Amino acid sequence: MLNHYLPVLIFIVVALVVGVVPLLMGASLGPHKPDSEKLSPYECGFEAFEDARVKFDVRYYLVAILFILFDLEIAFLFPWAVVFDQIGMMGFLAMMIFLAILVVGFIYEWKKGALEWE
Amino acid sequence: MIITTILFYLFSAILLGSATAVITARNPVYASLFLVLAFFNAAALFILLGAEFLGLILILVYVGAVMVLFLFVVMMLDINLTRLKEGFLSYLPLGLAIAILGVLELAVVFWTSPLGHIPAPGPIPANADNTRALGVLLYTHYLYPFEIAAVILLVAIIAAIALTLRRRQGTKTQSIDAQMAVRAKDRISLVNLRRPEQ
Amino acid sequence: MHDFYQTGWWAVIWSIIKIVIVVVPLLLGVAYLTLAERKVIGYMQVRLGPNRVGFRGSLQPIADALKLMFKEVIIPTSANRFLFLAAPVLAFVPALLVWAAVPFGPDVAISNMNAGLLYVLAIAGLGVYGIIVAGWASNSKYAFLGAMRAAAQLVAYEIAMGFALVGVLMLAQTLNLSKIVEAQAGGGFWSWYWLPLFPFFLVYFISGVAETNRAPFDVAEGESEIVAGFHVEYSGMAFALFFLAEYANMIFVSLLTTVLFLGGWYAPINTPLLTWIPGLVWLLLKTAFLLYVFLWIRATFPRYRYDQIMRLGWKVFIPVTIAWIVVVGIALETPMRAILR
Repeated sequence: MLNHYLPVLIFIVVALVVGVVPLLMGASLGPHKPDSEKLSPYECGFEAFEDARVKFDVRYYLVAILFILFDLEIAFLFPWAVVFDQIGMMGFLAMMIFLAILVVGFIYEWKKGALEWE
Repeated sequence: MIITTILFYLFSAILLGSATAVITARNPVYASLFLVLAFFNAAALFILLGAEFLGLILILVYVGAVMVLFLFVVMMLDINLTRLKEGFLSYLPLGLAIAILGVLELAVVFWTSPLGHIPAPGPIPANADNTRALGVLLYTHYLYPFEIAAVILLVAIIAAIALTLRRRQGTKTQSIDAQMAVRAKDRISLVNLRRPEQ
Repeated sequence: MHDFYQTGWWAVIWSIIKIVIVVVPLLLGVAYLTLAERKVIGYMQVRLGPNRVGFRGSLQPIADALKLMFKEVIIPTSANRFLFLAAPVLAFVPALLVWAAVPFGPDVAISNMNAGLLYVLAIAGLGVYGIIVAGWASNSKYAFLGAMRAAAQLVAYEIAMGFALVGVLMLAQTLNLSKIVEAQAGGGFWSWYWLPLFPFFLVYFISGVAETNRAPFDVAEGESEIVAGFHVEYSGMAFALFFLAEYANMIFVSLLTTVLFLGGWYAPINTPLLTWIPGLVWLLLKTAFLLYVFLWIRATFPRYRYDQIMRLGWKVFIPVTIAWIVVVGIALETPMRAILR
C-alpha cells in the first residue's frame, strides 16, 4: 500500500516547487518600486480607517460547526457505502436509523432558522 | 524498509516540532496553522502504518473541517494579545496541575494495560483495503456504538444551535421561497389599450 | 503492473516522470482554458474575443503568462508578509495534489490508490486554507469579507458533494477511481451512473461550480460588490497562482464528474466503430464538454445573491442527496437491484 503513497509524497514536494518557483520568478523579474499609496490596502480610494480584522457575525461559526458535524456523517457514510453488499439488511437498517436521527437534527436546525442567512 | 524508518522519524520530528510551535507561537493564527501541520504529519504517520482510511479521515475531518472552524474563530474574535496574557501567572498553577495529572494518567494507562506489551502486528497483506475491513466491522459488530455516535452528533447539532444562534433585532430578510413562488401572472396583467372597434 | 518500477529508486524516478506527464499538459490545459473561456464567452456575446496575438489569438495565454511574470508582486504594508506570500501556494498545491488519484485509463494514474475517492475529497477540502489565509494576511476589508464568504460557501457545498459521492460508492462498491469507471462498463451510455444517480450527478456538478467559485456562485469575488474578494491585494505571479488553482480545479471537477458519472474512458455506444477510438480521447472529450458547460453557465446566468447560495447548498442539495441515498439504498435491497448492478 505504501507504494501508492510514495508518489503522493513526491507530488507534494513537486507541487510545492511548482508553486514557489513562479512566485520567486515574479518577485525577481518584476519591477520593485514601492510607494506608500501603492502599498496601502485597497479601499475604493479612501484611506483605510481602521484595522480590517473586525469582529464577525457569529453565524459564520455556526456554519463551520454544522459543517464539521455533517463532515463526520460523511466519514461514517463512506465505509458504509463501500461495504453495502457485505453488511446485508442489518447494516442497511442501522444506517437508516443513523440517518433518521440526524435528519431529526437537520429538521431542528431548519425550524430554528439556523440555516437562514439574513 | 530503511526508507519508511527515515520517513517515520521525519514525520514524527515535524509533528513534535509543529506541536511545540502551536503552544509557543505568539500569534494565534500561526498557532492554528502549526496545528494544521501537526495533523497533517499525524495523518502521514497513520498512512505509514498502513491505516490509510484513518489518515485520510484525519485530513478530511480535522484539517478540512475542525481547523477551518478554529481559524474562523481565531481570525474573527479580534483577540487582544496583551489582555490575554494578563492572567497568565494566576492560571499557571492550575494549568500545570492539569498537565501533570494528564501525564500521570497516560503513564498509568501505559503501565497497567497490555497496550505497551502488545507484540508488533504482522505484516499487512499486500492488497488490504482497510476502508472495507473497517466498514464490515463497524456495520456488523459495532452497531450499537455506531447508533450512539448518531445520538452524540444529534446532541452536538442541538448544542451548537442553542449556544450560537442569536436572532439579531431589526434585520430585514428576503424570503427566497416566497420569491421563488412568484408567478408572472400574479404580478403583471396585460391590458388591451386599443379602443374597442366602433 | 510495473513491479520493476515499484521498488527502490526506480519508484521515485518513475513517480516523477508520471507527475511531469500529468502536470505539464495540465498547466498547458489551464493556459488554453483561459483562451477558450474568453473566446467562447466572446462569441456568446457576439464579440470576437482575443484575436491579436498569434493566429486568431492562439498565443494569447503565452503573452498573458509572460506579462504576469514581469509584473510587480505588491505586498501591502499592513499585510502579514510571510502568510501573504504563502497563501497562493496553499491554494495552488492542493489543486495539483488532487490529480494524484485521477485515472486516465484502466489503472493508469500517478497513484492508483485504493482509497482514491476519499483522498480526492480530503485534499480538495484543503483549498479553503489558501483563501482564508489570503483574506486574513492581506489585512484588507474586502479581502477578509471575500475570504469569509468563500469559506462558508465552500464548506456548505463540500457537504453536498460528499453526500453525492456516497451514491456512487453504493453502486460501485469501491473507493478506487479506476474501478469506479470499470463498474460503469457494458452498455455504453445507458450503463453510466448519471442515469440511476441523476440527482447526484446534478448536485455534484453544480457543487463543483460552486466549489471553484465560478459564476453564478462567484460572490466571493463579486466584482460589483467587493471588488475581487480574497485576492484583491494580489498582483503579478502571486495572483497568477490563485488563477491557475481556480482553472486547474475547474478541469479537475469536470474530469472527476466524467469519471464518476459519465463512464470515464468508455465510448458512449458499445460498437467497434466507436470503441476503436482510444479511451483517453473519450475521457478528454467528455471533460471538454463539461468545461464548455462551465463557460456556458458563466455566460448565461446572473450572479446569485449570497443568501440564495447558502439556501441552495443547505436547504436544497443536502435534503435531496440524503433522500436519494435512501432511495438508492432501498432499491438495492429489493429486486430492483438487478437494474442497478
